Amino acid sequence: MMTARSAGLVGCPNCGRVHDVPAPGRCQRCGWRLPGHAPDRSLQRVWAWLFAGLVVYIPANIYPMLRTNTFGRTTESTILEGVVDLLHHGSYGVALVVFVASIVIPIGKFFAIAYLAISVERREMMQVHARHRLFEVVEFIGRWSMIDVFVVAILAALVQLDFAATINPGIAAISFALSVAFTMLSAQSFDPKTIWLDGDMRPR
Amino acid sequence: MTDQTPPLPEIDQPNRSALRNLSVVWLVPVLALAVALGIAWQAYSDRGTLIEIRFENGAGVTAGETTVRYRDVVIGTVEDVRFSPDLQTVIVEARVENEVLPFLDEDATFWVVRPEISTQGVSGLSTVVSGVFIEGAWDSRPEIATRSFDGRESPLFVLPGDEGRRITLNVSPGIQLQGGAPVTFRGIQVGRLEQPDLTEDGLSITVDAFIDAPHDQRITQATRFWDSSGFSVSFGADGLTLDVESLASLVTGGIEFDEVYSNGQPVEGDAVFEVYESEEAARASAFDVASIGEVPVAVEFSNYIRGLVPGTQVVMANDQIGEVTAVTVQSVEIADGSKQRLVVDLVLDPGRMGFPVGTGAEEVYEYLAEQVADGLRARLATAGLISSETRIEFAIDYDARPARFEVAADPYPVMPSVMVEQTNVNTTAEGVLERVAALPFEELLSQAIDTLASIEGLAGDPALRDVPEEVVALLTEARELVGGDETQAIPGEARAAVAELRGILAELREAGTIAALTSVIAQADEAMGPITEASAVLPEVMANLRALSETAAELEIEALITTANTVLASADAFISSEGMAEVPANLSASLVELEALVAELRAADVVGSLNTTLASTSAAAEELPALVERTDAVLTRINTLVGAYGARSAFMGETMDVLREITTAARSIAQLARAIERNPSSLITGR
Repeated sequence: MMTARSAGLVGCPNCGRVHDVPAPGRCQRCGWRLPGHAPDRSLQRVWAWLFAGLVVYIPANIYPMLRTNTFGRTTESTILEGVVDLLHHGSYGVALVVFVASIVIPIGKFFAIAYLAISVERREMMQVHARHRLFEVVEFIGRWSMIDVFVVAILAALVQLDFAATINPGIAAISFALSVAFTMLSAQSFDPKTIWLDGDMRPR
Repeated sequence: MTDQTPPLPEIDQPNRSALRNLSVVWLVPVLALAVALGIAWQAYSDRGTLIEIRFENGAGVTAGETTVRYRDVVIGTVEDVRFSPDLQTVIVEARVENEVLPFLDEDATFWVVRPEISTQGVSGLSTVVSGVFIEGAWDSRPEIATRSFDGRESPLFVLPGDEGRRITLNVSPGIQLQGGAPVTFRGIQVGRLEQPDLTEDGLSITVDAFIDAPHDQRITQATRFWDSSGFSVSFGADGLTLDVESLASLVTGGIEFDEVYSNGQPVEGDAVFEVYESEEAARASAFDVASIGEVPVAVEFSNYIRGLVPGTQVVMANDQIGEVTAVTVQSVEIADGSKQRLVVDLVLDPGRMGFPVGTGAEEVYEYLAEQVADGLRARLATAGLISSETRIEFAIDYDARPARFEVAADPYPVMPSVMVEQTNVNTTAEGVLERVAALPFEELLSQAIDTLASIEGLAGDPALRDVPEEVVALLTEARELVGGDETQAIPGEARAAVAELRGILAELREAGTIAALTSVIAQADEAMGPITEASAVLPEVMANLRALSETAAELEIEALITTANTVLASADAFISSEGMAEVPANLSASLVELEALVAELRAADVVGSLNTTLASTSAAAEELPALVERTDAVLTRINTLVGAYGARSAFMGETMDVLREITTAARSIAQLARAIERNPSSLITGR
């Protein structure tokens, strides 16, 4: 398969004007910054967002997600505690959903993005098509991680029954939301073109 | 995850440094890291310090949920509940805020607040739903902080920061008290009791009481505590008394206190007070500690007295001034052999007698000597109506024989005594009855009955009943005589007779008829006096009889009243009989008539015409003796009547005497009644 890069060409992402490689820093027609000029920057952003997401993911798991106040009793539960509680109560389905949405997907995303970022530099690890599919999955699934945050937000908004029952979001809810947002930004920052860079085109 | 900076690609601007190639986005994770670390640090520094509280049981204490509070503000949370290595205690580990940490010293205490419903009220109700919590209390002085505490099983009633004073009370086992029970001063709660506890020897109960400031100023040596719980029923001279304190103290028990005398010295240090069973006992105990000195005195009694034991009160004007210390019997030699006498040793407290602090024995003796000279004596008295409790009383006895206060006597100065019959209620009541019995009721009654019987006899005497009739008849006769034609004719006849008399004047002069007539009239005049006197006395008799009946009625003595009533009825019947009532009037009328007749006789120019009619009176002279005879008869009957009255006057004197006696007796009974009315206690006390 022939790529623009291998042909020594690069297209402007804005107007589509094709430049020769090595291209000028900017599009000669519209002045847009041409990709491939500094591919390291793109990867840097990926790593930075990923790192930020990881940092805030730690308190999201340590601190309580929900602060439930029932008849004067205050219960705080972290994400994992919530999952364990749900299991104890026999709600295996819900427990599974929460577990997948809150723990498996974010952690999977971290690994996936990290893998993609590394694989850009070491191209021999996976087929480009598979990597591209992985990227698409990560990007698609990213917003669904927010399901946990939505649940917390809805509960906190609805269950404000004063003394009988009150639910307030904990620090973890904010941290988790930030974590999801950061990983989404990280995925967004990833330039899928870099997967195809340098014409590493081994046939299947 | 390592920070792998991507390798720099070959670029056409090699002058760019690695640092400048870094994306600004890196600021985000750095910032996030900083924030996360910041939060972590804050959480770590804010999480407080772990303290250990040991409880006997951990009922309701849950790790992670149970809070630790101070003044009802959450200062921490229980983190762990575990056992001590020997499983004897429950160790609760709680993380408390660092803010309070410096105050958690030796005096800090913790207890578990549970819902409690008591007579003091409902407390800890919120813990029913929210679960128990651990309450802590400590004072406001930071001292050497510790991390390990012994928890209390029961709530602390007095918080360490409270201003006031802690005192210890000794309670006799009969008094029921509960922790938290109120300590009141004149009904106002000024403190609380803590949990009662047995003393080490197990014989009595000790309980700490905390008196809030500023009422703790009232705790002096004069302060006495007593059990105000329950109700007391007392029966005394004032009647039946029911005393109920507040309902709360009825159930949980309560302690009341007061100063039983003024100018109590402040109590220093840890004070221990006795709790008395009743207010009376507490007030009576004033002597126990109040003593500012003891002055020994002895009293001798000539006979043995029951109930006199060491500890017996010595009172003066109803205030205790001392107590008996010893009672000994001594044998003394007297003229005819030996005699037992009772020597009672007393101690007197000058403070209770009103002497200032520091008064020596000499001054007390001096005072007693003066008082003894004025009649102060020691005597025995009973403490109350029902009680047979004996006490020694110092009282002025004006009838006492002169005596001296023997200051020089050995071993103690001797106070003179007077014997008073033991005036307990039995002897007093007996004495009253004896005195009542000793009243000459029977004599009085028999005398009254006799008197009234004789009055009745007199009144019932037919002769006496005839008297008025006789008098009336007499007067009628007299009137008939006076109004009779013959009498009426007398003047005419007399005139004629005078004419006739003129002739026989000399004869007449010799006969002395006029003088005789005049003397007769004088006699009649004389006779009138007693009659008038008797008439004047009659109303007095009646008044006396009425007075008698009134006093007799007051006495309510049936026999007397009945007799008196019958007697008086008959006496009234007699007195109010028509004839009797008419007696004086008739008498006066007849006497007036008589007088008029005599005056007429006198004034009818008897003397003047005598001279002229002397000659013509010889005929009439024959009739004169008849006239004189009839006049004599009248006078005789008058005399008889007067004589009868005269005889009665002796009887009447007797009656009067008897009545006077009755009146006197009635008056003395009335006086006795009035005296009892004025001072009913004399009936009881015998004084």
